[in-house]
Amino acid sequence: MELELDILKENKRLALENERRLTTNGILAIDVMGSVGSGKTSLIKAMIHELKSRSRIAVIEGDVTTTIDADLIASEGVAAVQVNTGKECHLDANLIRKALDRMSLNSLDLIFIENVGNLICPAEFPLGSKKRLVVISVTEGPYMVLKHPMMFLGADAVAINKVDLADAMGVSPTKLMADVAKLYPKSVAVGTSCRNGVGVEKVIEALGLKAR
Amino acid sequence: MHEFSVTSWIVEALLDLAKEQGASRVVEVHLRIGSLRALSIDQVKFCYEILAKGTVLQGSRLLTEEVPGKLRCTACNYQGEFNSHDDAFHFGIPPLACPDCGEALSIEGGDECVIAKVRMMLPSAEGGGAPS
Repeated sequence: MELELDILKENKRLALENERRLTTNGILAIDVMGSVGSGKTSLIKAMIHELKSRSRIAVIEGDVTTTIDADLIASEGVAAVQVNTGKECHLDANLIRKALDRMSLNSLDLIFIENVGNLICPAEFPLGSKKRLVVISVTEGPYMVLKHPMMFLGADAVAINKVDLADAMGVSPTKLMADVAKLYPKSVAVGTSCRNGVGVEKVIEALGLKAR
Repeated sequence: MHEFSVTSWIVEALLDLAKEQGASRVVEVHLRIGSLRALSIDQVKFCYEILAKGTVLQGSRLLTEEVPGKLRCTACNYQGEFNSHDDAFHFGIPPLACPDCGEALSIEGGDECVIAKVRMMLPSAEGGGAPS
């Protein structure tokens, strides 16, 4: 029997449905990806700090089991919806759909979706977000971009985090930025440090959030 | 890791189909996987065997075809499968920069994961396992 059944279609369909639902409500959603400990939550917190006076923000926190990140986000005074994936290594469009069901979408402008800390699997599952931010850090070593190319394809912005530690690590943020440019020229790479706020404003700009 | 999720979607779709058709056994499944999908075919096969156990899929042959990635440059119209003059770190995944002009490449194919064909035993084709 000829079938030609696209297995990823259901996730794509749900992702499109999420995207439409967000657009109808005038919400921009940003998918934030990166490995464990790269600073995804810290960078989201830093951006919220800059943006919360002009935008109504919420965060969907994907985590395998804990609520640690959701609690950290809540300390910025914005709503955090926790999604525990249990055994899964990534968020998918259906989990996001269920999270959106739990949020009051008509009173929001911006949603950050923090994906599970993992540089391989999340790239395979579109969620319905309009923009994608990938966070890596100099403490992950000099080959992070080259080793995980799939993650950077389609990234609107890449934050090279913890640049304040670059010298101690002997890792060049400039080289990492060049690697990003080579893999995916459309992406904007920015050196950031959530400790002293370096680059946070630039990431906000790269994601098109400046005017919001 | 995500091969398990994707393979469980494949198995679910096949079980639904088998049930719908009243098949007593699935004989052969053809998958087409694009090389731009980060799916390890060995992992898919391994997960398939585990997930097929105890179902009408048990013992079926899983055939896989890998489709090369197709890329096109929107600026200079370069077309190709891979940016072959790159270093070993890419593990066969091409950078999305045009090797000729450096502009961004768009993916035109080779990013699919499709069940192309299924052979199963239907009540009317007893013992044949013929394509249905």
